[in-house]
Amino acid sequence: MTAAVVATTRRAVLWVPDWPVVAAAAEAGLSPSAPAAVLHGRGMVAVSAAARAAGVRRGQRKRLAQRACPDLTILPYDEARDARQFEAVAAAAEEVVSGVEISRPGLLMIPSEGAARFHGSEEALAEALVNAVAEIAGCESAVGAADGLLAAVLAARSSALIPAGESARFLSPHPIDTLTLAAMERTKREAVEDLVSVLTRLGIDTLGAFTDLPFSDILARFGPAGAWAHRVARGEDVAPPVLRRAEEDIAVDYVFEEPAQNSQQLIPVARLLAERLDSALLDAGMRCGKVRIVAATERGQQLERVWRTDVGVRAGAFAAHMADRVRWQLEGWLSGTADGPERSGLVSLGVTAEDVVPLGSEQSYLWGGVSGADSRAQRTLERVQGLLGPDGVLAVREQGGRSPRERVLALPWGQEAVDSRPLAHPWPGGIPDPAPATVLAAPGPVQVLDAGGTPVSIDRRLAMSAPPTWVRLEADPTDERARAANRHPASGHVGKVEGPVWDRPRPVDSWAGPWPIAQRWWSTEASRGAYMQIALGSSQAPGDEGTVAVLVAFRGGEWQLEAMYD
Amino acid sequence: MDASHQSARLEKARAALAAVQSRVGTTRSVTGVECWETPVLPLAATLSDALPTGLRRGQVVAVQGSTSLVLALVAEASREGSWTAMIGMPQVGVVAAARRGIELSRLALIPHPGAQAPAVAGACVDGMDVVVLGPRLALADADRRRLVARARERGAVIVSAGSWEGAHVTLTVESSRWRGLGAGDGRLREREMTVAMSSRAGGQVRRVLLTLDVDTGLRRESRDSVGQPAALEGAA
Repeated sequence: MTAAVVATTRRAVLWVPDWPVVAAAAEAGLSPSAPAAVLHGRGMVAVSAAARAAGVRRGQRKRLAQRACPDLTILPYDEARDARQFEAVAAAAEEVVSGVEISRPGLLMIPSEGAARFHGSEEALAEALVNAVAEIAGCESAVGAADGLLAAVLAARSSALIPAGESARFLSPHPIDTLTLAAMERTKREAVEDLVSVLTRLGIDTLGAFTDLPFSDILARFGPAGAWAHRVARGEDVAPPVLRRAEEDIAVDYVFEEPAQNSQQLIPVARLLAERLDSALLDAGMRCGKVRIVAATERGQQLERVWRTDVGVRAGAFAAHMADRVRWQLEGWLSGTADGPERSGLVSLGVTAEDVVPLGSEQSYLWGGVSGADSRAQRTLERVQGLLGPDGVLAVREQGGRSPRERVLALPWGQEAVDSRPLAHPWPGGIPDPAPATVLAAPGPVQVLDAGGTPVSIDRRLAMSAPPTWVRLEADPTDERARAANRHPASGHVGKVEGPVWDRPRPVDSWAGPWPIAQRWWSTEASRGAYMQIALGSSQAPGDEGTVAVLVAFRGGEWQLEAMYD
Repeated sequence: MDASHQSARLEKARAALAAVQSRVGTTRSVTGVECWETPVLPLAATLSDALPTGLRRGQVVAVQGSTSLVLALVAEASREGSWTAMIGMPQVGVVAAARRGIELSRLALIPHPGAQAPAVAGACVDGMDVVVLGPRLALADADRRRLVARARERGAVIVSAGSWEGAHVTLTVESSRWRGLGAGDGRLREREMTVAMSSRAGGQVRRVLLTLDVDTGLRRESRDSVGQPAALEGAA
């Protein structure tokens, strides 16, 4: 939040009222005139005009809103959807002017001087913009123009064109809380909301009253946030507009004459597509940061996956590199091993280069070039991927979750991550730190016994049948003694052992729990269990002393070994 | 053959030898004792007593009995920018690795290399700084010897979770003790382990008491003893 001195530019602002609800209604196929509202957390974040007329307000709780308007459609909140749908509006505006800045979904900034000269006047520009957005994107919008950021945003709300130099006069009667409209990111908006609440309590309720205060006093009392607000309220700019470069994604595709059923048919096509994409990129003088592979199946389903590429160091190998990725993806889909829809033949295949940047302008390190070790390691892992297939090398990252297994997201090396569970959420009731160093890929067998050798059980109210006294882990499979001890006498000396081979029971040293984790009962990945940390004393085996700690879970009447703190 | 030609050839041979020595990291000092001058990867201060020679490039460290110790060994190097591959360790706790300081963006897991284990391990020794090998890999003794030679040439560190014939250093966890649990209450807080260090060069087995998961809770005792390994000198 800096109040750097930049030249104030004249800009036009295109504002689509109630954008979240417009976007959600368009995706849900609702008519724009139907009463609808978008719910986020505990209150409504956007309300359509019809719903507003019926008395639904922003910030209202769901129940109050439904009481005010019984046929209200409540739509879910989705920032990604808002941004995605707004692309159509931005594209429509780009039909009229070149270079627009998306401040946030719902609000576009256009530097108006050149565009207004081209269209004849600002009125003509505004009219052209509104028409283009209505025709191409199919939604209502308002356009205003003024000097400076805040004045332009407010002008758009009243569809006004403020003459040059009049911004300060235009702004001064507006209430102080309009300052929040100039803050585009959430964190900044929160800081500005704090500032506004202090100013309101000090009795400063218009922008004019605020700008009458001396700048140095504002800076001394409110710091950079105050300085920013003072400049904005005077109708000046704090940052030059950041224009969107309309770099089109480059796409190539291939339609099969007959649906392709096996990967042998696809490998030449994958190579061909990769080569065509490479030459298309070269012709345009571009490189890309991501590649999206899209395949359409006979059943009309779309399969798509995004792969990261780093072509900075070895542009020549791009075609072979991408051909591998396309082939892996297709083999996974056709064999039905990858998580996709049911297997069926492919009718078309497309490869799209995304994050396209001009050749030679890739990000590099501060001291120039990609570090040698990094590119060497990347090449190594790609070679191993070539040996073992894409799933052979995994990149891991932490994600939110309660049990140790849920807290890891593993993806094939180089594949773009799908949305994971956010780490920043609180995840109450999770297993406390330290994290176990060994996490079993699938729960293993374990016996938790009481003093008499009966399995301990936990009832619905988390009462244990008896304190745990003995724990039997699975024995090392090569341990012949344990196998012999587990063998039923009737099966002779060579019989196979049914079920797990148990090691000697180990005494429980101390234990904690049970900690219940019952989660996602509404979905298919519902899980319910009670976890316990148990520290085990030494068994009678020689050379084994001290304690070992394990994490066990009681699920559906059985004990399972989840992790070991080894 | 004239003398100048011969001396030029000798000069060339010396230069080649010097290049190999600087690459492999050995120099022969005047006394004729081979001494190592290989760069050392950074190691957490807690472990410097267990591994006084440091994590030298080109060496093999075998760790028996604790995955946490493996993670702690490679953590500092990973934090400082080294790339780590973990081969044949499908059960490694990724969250524990991250908590110990391993940078997950520079960590690759190769959980099931199967019959390709020698090729995969060889490729990783070539390209990564630290290679952690799991206990059940299909590596014959000859493969292991080849890997050591390659690691020595490329300057990679091999950390073996499990025994390794001829490892430069073997760390064996002899006992470990957890604190913090009661009878149904508490949680795991602090762990002390006794680690025996034996090196290929011979000498006494050193025993070191390590505190790995230090609980910075509201304890009243002085924190001096915790986090500082106390050396217990013991006979082999």
